[in-house]
Amino acid sequence: MTDSLSGATDDSDLTSLHSRHLVEAIRVDHLNKVFRQKHYSSIKRAVFNLLRAEKVVNYPALTDLSFSVPQGQTVAVIGRNGSGKSTLLGILARVYRPTSGRVDLLNPQGNAARIAPLLSLGAGFHLDLTAEQNIVFYGAILGLTPKEIAKKRDEIVAFSELEDKMDTALHGWNDGAKLRLGFSIAVHIDPDILLVDEVLAVGDEAFQNKCYRFIAQLQRAGKTILFVSHDLSVVERVANRILWLQNGVIRMDGSVEEVLTAYREDAKSAPPPPNPRPQNPGEGE
Amino acid sequence: MSLMTWCLMTTPMREQFLELWGRRWLLRQFVARELYVRYKNSAFGFVWSIVPPIVQVIVYTFFIRSTLGVRAENYSAYLLCGLIPWTFFYAATLDAAHSLLTNKDIIKKVYFPREIVPLTYVSSNFIHFLLGWCIFSIWFYGIKGLPLLWEMLLFPLVTLQLLIFVVGMSLWLSCLSVFYEDVKFIYQTFVNLLLFVFPILFMADNVWYWALSSGRPWLYRIYMLNPVASVINAYRHVMLERLPPKSLNLKGTPLDMDWSSFAVSFVLTILFTLAGYAYFNRRKWEFVERER
Repeated sequence: MTDSLSGATDDSDLTSLHSRHLVEAIRVDHLNKVFRQKHYSSIKRAVFNLLRAEKVVNYPALTDLSFSVPQGQTVAVIGRNGSGKSTLLGILARVYRPTSGRVDLLNPQGNAARIAPLLSLGAGFHLDLTAEQNIVFYGAILGLTPKEIAKKRDEIVAFSELEDKMDTALHGWNDGAKLRLGFSIAVHIDPDILLVDEVLAVGDEAFQNKCYRFIAQLQRAGKTILFVSHDLSVVERVANRILWLQNGVIRMDGSVEEVLTAYREDAKSAPPPPNPRPQNPGEGE
Repeated sequence: MSLMTWCLMTTPMREQFLELWGRRWLLRQFVARELYVRYKNSAFGFVWSIVPPIVQVIVYTFFIRSTLGVRAENYSAYLLCGLIPWTFFYAATLDAAHSLLTNKDIIKKVYFPREIVPLTYVSSNFIHFLLGWCIFSIWFYGIKGLPLLWEMLLFPLVTLQLLIFVVGMSLWLSCLSVFYEDVKFIYQTFVNLLLFVFPILFMADNVWYWALSSGRPWLYRIYMLNPVASVINAYRHVMLERLPPKSLNLKGTPLDMDWSSFAVSFVLTILFTLAGYAYFNRRKWEFVERER
């Protein structure tokens, strides 16, 4: 495994309540992800393709990626569109299966971690259900039992500041309110690892600040956070470490200042990336 | 059943099944959501799941009595023994065929065992199915006073076969229609014909005498391997008394229940569903990578 922690350990030295570094939170070992584009959309084409050699187009989204994240660290993943950020997050959230390689997500005790993926604005919500029902459903998707959800319910509602809307269906809600509810649920299920994909950009400033305060609280509690963002000010504010992906490989991995300096330098000077790939399903941007 | 146990003990199917079992609470949530959303905006709610089959039975009874001259008493009970399982099979498999596409937003964002999606539609339709039998029992045993038979104890066994078959069919259809969109349309078109292929509007006995008279009795044996035909036939023998001779324009006496044929059909059903589960599990990771 490449020693990808250099430069990051000092910076991540937060006041953690837990004894850290006993078990790594995220261990990614020689991870490859290739999206194959050969799927037939119709039986007709499938039958015709029996007769001739099928043409398979492979898009390597991630190539031989290895890194590990100690417990309690907050890692920002940056990179241009199509660099593999969302694919990486999707694999960590178990939405995609790696083509090869190994991914382990562990809690401080060394067991399988509870993951809270905040991959998109309220993906688990059903607009016909009330907020109350959505909390139960979303919680169940994230792996909570009814008792656990009932226990967390009040905290979630209080944090989201949506008490008066709890009995209304989500139909008429604006995006900001849905985001608040989604964020509140995801962070209150007591995850070991929080995966965030570019969602903090929505919501008013007051709620954003509240989210940052809560994230800081999670960081102090020793939770591991991995997030994708294009907003470098967010990265600067929250992260202890940056993973810079380019064309599916790690371009740079290190402390926030170090990587951001190089990244900004690169954005100024670099021409557009060679051979831009078509959007693959991993890049929902 | 030992075969099933053996198959489930082989990894990775066993692991997949244990994982699914561990998330049964989520399945319950999916079903609750599905039922809630379906009836949320209708004034009569659940009533809508029983009115259509009742209307169907009235229409069919009238139609068959007047055109085929069937003179059996309580003939609607025999029709319902075919229509209740048929409606479950029809609605559940059609819903399941669309299920992965309907729920693709959530599948693309969060991990959970994907089988839960088609199983949601099987479960919600299964609830309607059981409700249908409740109303059937109240009407025919409570009000019409049809006799209760000891064979009714076999009702759960017959239902189990139907359920296993619908699960298998749903797994196959939901998975295949992700990769081949034609599957959905082909199925939608041809499933309606099955209403006239399965012994729903007529009796399995009719098929037997037809096969006999055409000199190919083995056709009947093959026909009864079909799980839906086998289940409907079994329901009629388990829930109701034998039809009186001559009531159906049969060329002979009505048949006894053939449990050995039922058993063969049951085993085939289990194999079919296990194969569907294995296929689903093999391909479930590709659902999200499918371009559309």
